[in-house]
Amino acid sequence: MPVWLREHLWRQTASAVYLSLPVRGLRVTPANIFCTDRYLKVSIPPFLFEAILYAPIDDTNSTAKIGNGIIFFTLYKKEAAMWDSLTLANANKEKLQYLRENAVLKAHEKAKEETEAKKVTKQEHKKYALEATMKLEEAERKRIEDLKEKERQKVTKELELWKEQQDAAEKQKRVQKEGELHQEVEQLKEKKKEKNNKTSISYEGTSETRIKATKGRGSYSMFSENLKEEQLPAPRSAATIKINFTSRVFPTALRESRVAEEEEWLRKQAEAQRTVSADLSELEDLKEEEKNPDWLKDKGNKMFATGNYLAAVNAYNLAVRLNNKLPLLYLNRAACHLKLRNLHKAIEDSSKALELLTPPVPDNENARVKAYVRRGTAFCQLELYTEGLQDYEAALKIDPQNKNIEKDAEKIRHLIQGTTQ
Amino acid sequence: AAGLDRPQVVSHAQQALNYTLFDCKWVPRSARLLCLGSAARGSGLLQLYELRGGRLALLREIEKAKPLKCGTFGATSLQQRYFATGDFGGNLNIWNLEAPEIPVYSVKGHKEIINSIDGVGGLGIGEGAPEIVTGSRDGTVKVWDPRQKDTPVANMEPVQGESKRDCWTVAFGNAYNQEERVVCAGYDNGDIKLFDLKTMSLRWETNIKNGVCSVEFDRKDVNMNKLVATSLEGKFHVFDMRTQHPTKGFASVSEKAQKSTIWQVRHLPQNRDIFMTSGGAGSLHLWKYEYPSQRSKKDSEGAEMGVAGSLSLLQNVTLSTQPISSLDWSPDKKGLCVCGAFDQTVRVLIVTKLNKI
Repeated sequence: MPVWLREHLWRQTASAVYLSLPVRGLRVTPANIFCTDRYLKVSIPPFLFEAILYAPIDDTNSTAKIGNGIIFFTLYKKEAAMWDSLTLANANKEKLQYLRENAVLKAHEKAKEETEAKKVTKQEHKKYALEATMKLEEAERKRIEDLKEKERQKVTKELELWKEQQDAAEKQKRVQKEGELHQEVEQLKEKKKEKNNKTSISYEGTSETRIKATKGRGSYSMFSENLKEEQLPAPRSAATIKINFTSRVFPTALRESRVAEEEEWLRKQAEAQRTVSADLSELEDLKEEEKNPDWLKDKGNKMFATGNYLAAVNAYNLAVRLNNKLPLLYLNRAACHLKLRNLHKAIEDSSKALELLTPPVPDNENARVKAYVRRGTAFCQLELYTEGLQDYEAALKIDPQNKNIEKDAEKIRHLIQGTTQ
Repeated sequence: AAGLDRPQVVSHAQQALNYTLFDCKWVPRSARLLCLGSAARGSGLLQLYELRGGRLALLREIEKAKPLKCGTFGATSLQQRYFATGDFGGNLNIWNLEAPEIPVYSVKGHKEIINSIDGVGGLGIGEGAPEIVTGSRDGTVKVWDPRQKDTPVANMEPVQGESKRDCWTVAFGNAYNQEERVVCAGYDNGDIKLFDLKTMSLRWETNIKNGVCSVEFDRKDVNMNKLVATSLEGKFHVFDMRTQHPTKGFASVSEKAQKSTIWQVRHLPQNRDIFMTSGGAGSLHLWKYEYPSQRSKKDSEGAEMGVAGSLSLLQNVTLSTQPISSLDWSPDKKGLCVCGAFDQTVRVLIVTKLNKI
């Protein structure tokens, strides 16, 4: 139950009501005061003062002054009339309730309207500012444009002037030339006859075609041309200069090169050289050079060349144990296995070599061709002709110029067709 | 304002064309210009325009069998003003524009498209016989004398068995007397080769890693002074050609300016230290080369080597969204230039304030 504040004093004039409400000891803030056009409430819990006003007031202009222990209201009446009392006399509970609610609603609406009005003004201010800046920038731009335009016009005028000068000069020259021509025609005809007898055939040929072409232009130009030719050196004696183009590690221009792939390949090679297999315990009794995969590879190659295939395989096996990332070891071992007719091993080794020969770059083309060919051969000897043909065709794709591969591929195709029929 | 004191590039006139424009050249001693290119129907077009007021008026249109790629007035006299063209079929033709039905000189010079052409000895500039050089996709560079039919007077070709590289650009230089002459050729793999025609030998070669789009000497008719070579990926190199070191060749300074291919470089005829580069993004950059205090110095062994100078950008402007593939300064009016772009437009520009540089 609120505590009603009843000690209020009021007086009025024709247009306003002055109400003073003592609130001894209480702290009042504007939030505690609630006022609409017919209802006034001051709520400082637990104290409460409310008044249903006798007549409507202008609540936007009315003021409340919060002083020391007292609130002083100045309420401006909507209609200038004298009130009988501050509040409505016969106010029953329901009416009170209704009025209160109404008042609250009205207050809400007013608040909403106010915020909206604020928004609108803010927008307008922004717009105005924007337009102002745009105008300024426009002015600046225009100024620069004007400067440029002035330059342009000045320059155009100069150009026109120059052009006129050119035209005048040309006309003059032409008139002059025609005058000279009449004097010289006879002389030059004589000279030309002489020259035609002396010069070589090709010379004459060109000058004749030129005569035909210049017919329309006027004869003077041809004659003056002949004169000048006498002063020029003879055509150069023909010669050829042979040139070479810059080679790169990969013979492609920068714009064509697949640099990324090529770098990868180079890196892989470098890494492969460095890997050393972990399992060295059994290999301790080997000589120093026998631990070098390259040396072993060379050994293997030599033995392959002499026909000692088993020894070559041994050498390659050891090399692989030391460094299993060198594709050439597998490639050469595959060749040995082919000769030894270990066809499955040959296929395995060729496949391993191909795996290691990625990414496919021009540098490892040869190696890849060999790998495909060897695997293809192995397949064919196992009578797996379709797989063999696939490998041969892959080889052919890398190296289309190779006649042997083409011939072999053809043979395989015939074989396949023969068996299916 | 420092900005407005610099040379400005003012667009004076432009013309929309209905064919692909490959080259545009001023007709010497006139306000006329030639545009050549390839029409949609696969034939070559040659158009003669005159600059009138602020516009280009078409005077003449000549159609030829094969699309035309490049042309030059360099090897003709001022009275005749014959125009030499290279076309897509590898033919070199010299035309008299007054009577263009039959060429004055014609030869099937190359097996593939002639990418670039240059002429020297004509127009009253320089000394010696007028000659034309053509560079083609078949990897050869050939020098022709209009007085000698069918066979070139010099042929620079790859050795037997060498895989060929496209030649993209050629330029004459060093033609300061009757005997001396050099040809510089740029290839698509970044090779630049300098051929001496007096000794018929390769004088110098280098590789700038990216394909060379355009080479030009600052003057054809003086002792070779500077050479500018432009390439793909926005780089160009300026070589100081006065001092050749036995191993290091010529000193150079390079600049990476436009993010795209630099299609052309052209020196201002009236000032050999100013040149303009045109780029694949439709932009033009105007550069000035400043010489170093000493153009040559001795290296550790006492051999002379050149010192490259420095470059400063005077102005740049973007005219189009497509590459500007051809550029030509007018030899008669300082600052007047024409450029042709792949957006089928030819533009006449005026560069102001070049006197103050």
